Amino acid sequence: MTVLAHGVGSRTDLPLPLGLALYGAGAAILLSFAILLLFWRTPRLGGPGSGAALPLPVQRAVDSGRVRRGLQAVALAVAVLVTAVAVAGPDDPDRNLAPWVLYVTFWVGLVPASLLLGPVWRVVNPLRLLHRGLRVVLASAPGAGRLPALGLWPATVPLLVFLWLELVLPGRAEPSTVAAFLLGYAVVHLGLSLWFGEEWFASGDGFEVYSTVLARLSPWGRRDDGRLVLRNPLANATVAPVQPGLAAVVVVLLGSTAFDGLSRTVFWQTGPGAANDVVSGTLGLLTMVALVAVLYVVGSRLSGRLAGQPVHVQPRRYAGTVVAIAIGYTVAHYFSLMMLDGQTPWILASNPFGLAGVDLFGTYGNVVDLTAVSADVIALVQVGAVVAGHVVGVTLAHERALLSARRARASDQLPLVVVMVLFTVGGLGLLFGF
Amino acid sequence: MSIRPARLGAALCGLAVAAVLSGCAGTEAPAAAALSASEGPSASSTSAPAGQRIEVQVSGGRVTGDSGRVPVSPGAPVTVVVTSDVADTAHLHGYDLDAELSPGQPAELTFDATIPGVFELELHEASTVLLTLQVG
Repeated sequence: MTVLAHGVGSRTDLPLPLGLALYGAGAAILLSFAILLLFWRTPRLGGPGSGAALPLPVQRAVDSGRVRRGLQAVALAVAVLVTAVAVAGPDDPDRNLAPWVLYVTFWVGLVPASLLLGPVWRVVNPLRLLHRGLRVVLASAPGAGRLPALGLWPATVPLLVFLWLELVLPGRAEPSTVAAFLLGYAVVHLGLSLWFGEEWFASGDGFEVYSTVLARLSPWGRRDDGRLVLRNPLANATVAPVQPGLAAVVVVLLGSTAFDGLSRTVFWQTGPGAANDVVSGTLGLLTMVALVAVLYVVGSRLSGRLAGQPVHVQPRRYAGTVVAIAIGYTVAHYFSLMMLDGQTPWILASNPFGLAGVDLFGTYGNVVDLTAVSADVIALVQVGAVVAGHVVGVTLAHERALLSARRARASDQLPLVVVMVLFTVGGLGLLFGF
Repeated sequence: MSIRPARLGAALCGLAVAAVLSGCAGTEAPAAAALSASEGPSASSTSAPAGQRIEVQVSGGRVTGDSGRVPVSPGAPVTVVVTSDVADTAHLHGYDLDAELSPGQPAELTFDATIPGVFELELHEASTVLLTLQVG
């Protein structure tokens, strides 16, 4: 089956035109200094008390356990159907719904869904419903007390496993692989949730943590008085809690997307990745994650040292600001997959089990229109997303620096900003394909 | 090419950036250079008189001929000739075209390169990538 990057797909993007890559990089660098030197000198994005409260009936509905369990039941039904198709549907990955739903509709779709609607997977996570069922049998959760100290660290493991599956494993698109992953994921996380309690999912379920981390930049938040509010996404990102392990999650996301970009370059395909096997892919993925980790930790610690603050808290403190850069990377790499190959699941859903004569929605004979979005639009979205993510990231870091020291000097922020510029110029370089 | 970033971008683009990026870029991007050159109104500037002919051979699992990244002008007629020493099916992703291969017999895929993007030509059974077409 296909050896293309990101799990499934029939195409990859053209390299970015050189001029566009240069404009993007230049704009990112200049805007960084403009933000540092010209933006506000006291925190002004709005604190935990900011935001316009939603009407109480809306909040009651969103917070209602019954509504959530209903949504979880719907998600569970879809998950069961997809798993059943992975087990019993067509063997050809091109004609089986499951890999497309997992790698495109779900994994890529989680990004716009979480940015627009907030932490959706926390609300509809079907494993939470199954956990409630199991808890009737096993009531106690002996490990629950340890979760706060672990923070988001546990989520890095399932995220890395999934990303390795998506970007490295040669058989990633095989329906049997998808079935094994989905069933294994459910069993492992249900087991862990029995030990740690339901809050395990907020800490260790990679998909839920991904959705929650993305939702830091959504317009929906919870005010310090408990009300659900609509507010500036930048304010939302600023007041989101500083959790242990957030930096690790962000580094994994950024590093893996960078590897996805690297693996499509001629340099990788004819050089280190020429063997196109598990070993080279695994090493490439881990190298990119490690590279991002080292750059980020050094940059944030150096900024902290210049500002005379304890350096060990710095990577955690600024991790929320790098989320924006990770989102920019993700949009740039997966926009075309969502718009073009993202059509496939809707076609295959018309006959999920590939039975003769079945065509539920009359769309089974349709063909994916790979020209639905032009190459120019894709290139503009890629550069726009990377530069916008960079600008938001630098702005958030600026606000964060002012929050942690009232008289923060612009020069103290320089090391972190330089690292962010490296991420952005490097990201554009990968899209350009050097 | 219809991409026309704002002119102020030119002013914004520092010299240092240009130097850094083109330094990295100079090494391995002939395709991208061809990309910006060939997208003008006259697509006939490259050598595509009546159709581009791409030939690739597989023997003992090794791919020779026009392997690697092959640039193709958008819209141009293309003929890909595949010769394999074992029976297999060559599949061009995206365009969704198949050619049945018999040992030693050249098989042809003929099409107009109307879909922009990067596409793999792959052996179905052996999962070997013969080449990647870069249309754009």
